[in-house]
Amino acid sequence: MATMTDQGGWPSGGDQPVSAPLLSIEGLRTMVSSRRDSFDVVRGLSLDIYPNEVLCLVGESGCGKSITALSIMRLLPNPPVRVREGKIRFRGEDLLRLSGKRMRSIRADSISMIFQDPLTSLDPVFTVGDVIVEVIRAHRDVSKDEARRLAGDALAKVGLPDPISRLGSYPHQLSGGMRQRVMIAMALVLDPDILIADEPTTALDVTVQAQILDQLVTEQRERNMAMLLITHDLAVVAAVADRVAVMYAGEIVEQAPVDELFEDPRHPYTQGLLRALPKVSATRRRLDPIPGLVPSLQMMPPGCAFAPRCPHALDRCWNEQPELATDPDGRVFRCFNPQPFAG
Amino acid sequence: MKRVLARTVYMVIVLVLSSIAVFYAIRLSGGDAVAARVPASASAEEREAVREQLGLNDPFHEQYFDYMGRLFTGDLGNSLTNNAEIGKLITEHGKNSLILGVAAFVLVFGVGIPLGMLASLRRNSWWDGGIMTFSVAGMAVPNFWLALLAVWLFASVLGWLPSAGCCGPKQLVLPAVVLAMEGMALTVRMTRSAMLENLNQDFVRTLRSGGLSESKVIGRHVFRNALVPIVSLAGLRIGQIVGYALVVETIFGWPGLGQVLVNAVLRRDYPVAQFFSLVLITVVLLSNWLADVGYTVVNPRLRRG
Repeated sequence: MATMTDQGGWPSGGDQPVSAPLLSIEGLRTMVSSRRDSFDVVRGLSLDIYPNEVLCLVGESGCGKSITALSIMRLLPNPPVRVREGKIRFRGEDLLRLSGKRMRSIRADSISMIFQDPLTSLDPVFTVGDVIVEVIRAHRDVSKDEARRLAGDALAKVGLPDPISRLGSYPHQLSGGMRQRVMIAMALVLDPDILIADEPTTALDVTVQAQILDQLVTEQRERNMAMLLITHDLAVVAAVADRVAVMYAGEIVEQAPVDELFEDPRHPYTQGLLRALPKVSATRRRLDPIPGLVPSLQMMPPGCAFAPRCPHALDRCWNEQPELATDPDGRVFRCFNPQPFAG
Repeated sequence: MKRVLARTVYMVIVLVLSSIAVFYAIRLSGGDAVAARVPASASAEEREAVREQLGLNDPFHEQYFDYMGRLFTGDLGNSLTNNAEIGKLITEHGKNSLILGVAAFVLVFGVGIPLGMLASLRRNSWWDGGIMTFSVAGMAVPNFWLALLAVWLFASVLGWLPSAGCCGPKQLVLPAVVLAMEGMALTVRMTRSAMLENLNQDFVRTLRSGGLSESKVIGRHVFRNALVPIVSLAGLRIGQIVGYALVVETIFGWPGLGQVLVNAVLRRDYPVAQFFSLVLITVVLLSNWLADVGYTVVNPRLRRG
């Protein structure tokens, strides 16, 4: 686990951030619209990413994690998905208001992203070298040969065996793990400040998952880069995160440094997630899932989004939306009736 | 490489089989091959003598091997009707057909692909609607009917273009457009759907996340992916051009291979009909073979393994 206190970011004590955030999302609302109806899939999300930290964004599928990431990159499939409201501040600029050209210059150069399925995410009719060279030359004024050399270095850096000849490979000639390494090399070749990794290991074999994750963390540390890692896998979170933001139904319900979150989760949803983890213990017991289903985003309850599944819901929870607030201990979560966690 | 070799063997087999088919079909279609060669007043004995001299009374398979044997020694023979040398006929008319065919080919892909791209990039717009309507019409209207309409409108009513003739650019326009129309319409549709399909692929998002411009993402990457199905059917398009050329050349009086072949078949001029058919079959097979090779080039997934 990377420590943050020595590098800036959010100190483990958890009161005030030491340095200014690198990227700051404020009140992001992203909506899906069709002819029949439209609804928000990200509902007023605010989140800061600090320099050099690994921030994990956790939540069930469909809770809006990927949409949040794509909102930052401005790569939403529009139509039908578009940002309705909010700001995404990066280096004094609001990404959402940048010209297309300016935004393109930020992608890969300052903020990079890697995706879930490395097979479909690579162009099948171009060699991986050609594409990396193209990415380099979209941002840097270098010759083709120089770009090719940089691309080879990038592939070598992410641990791809025989990197120079791999430049001439097509994606179908590589294994899943190698493809994901190519994706990482492409995302990191221009040394970005932030890497957004959207479930980068979900489509891979378990053994390869660990290698890729390891590679990502190594790169993050060596480059002093911030990483927003999107995952639904709490084991991954425990292994790599500095800080965790838990997302439920399009909003953040709790955020905390990773050890605090695992030791003492405050929001009932986070508690439910942790309780649902299988444990290795002497006595086998049934898994403990969170009862009920995620509410439909088309018909959100008027109060707390988690109230219908919450064992401690009060009357107030059904009628009023709790804010994401900091409690006297310095913990940040969104709940009217927090209960102590009994694992 | 293995694939290319297999296609080559396949091509030769088809060529042999179709030479047999052509040979038999024209003899089974009835009619009298010597009618055009002897005066109408000729007696039955005289006709029989000519038939014997031409070897038309031998069994079919003997005639076939005899003919193929002469072909391989380079003896293409002469026309039964006017005794013209077939070798000369081929070069004269082949040139005209080549001009018409290449013009149609350029229209099919040079116009079809850009129109399809435009329709896909302006999806559900007025452009898209217009182009797709044109494409449906192009597929639905049979080319002989389109030829007549075109002659009526552009030659008779407007007087812009000649209704028939050879071989200037003005005379070329109408037959080339009519010949290309169906292939062009199909290419438009195929380009549009292939572009739209690839625009929705994950790799497009990756390329955009790498900061590439839209012109690079679409003009280079999406287009190159869309080219795969288009090239795979290019052979079919060429075959279509060759086949339709028979009709179009006849209607527009364009003195190409098709026109000669149609006349030869009508007059039962066996040597001309046989050889011209074989030439057209070879052209179609070669173009299919080329399209296959091209498909391997544009689709790297086929190159190894």
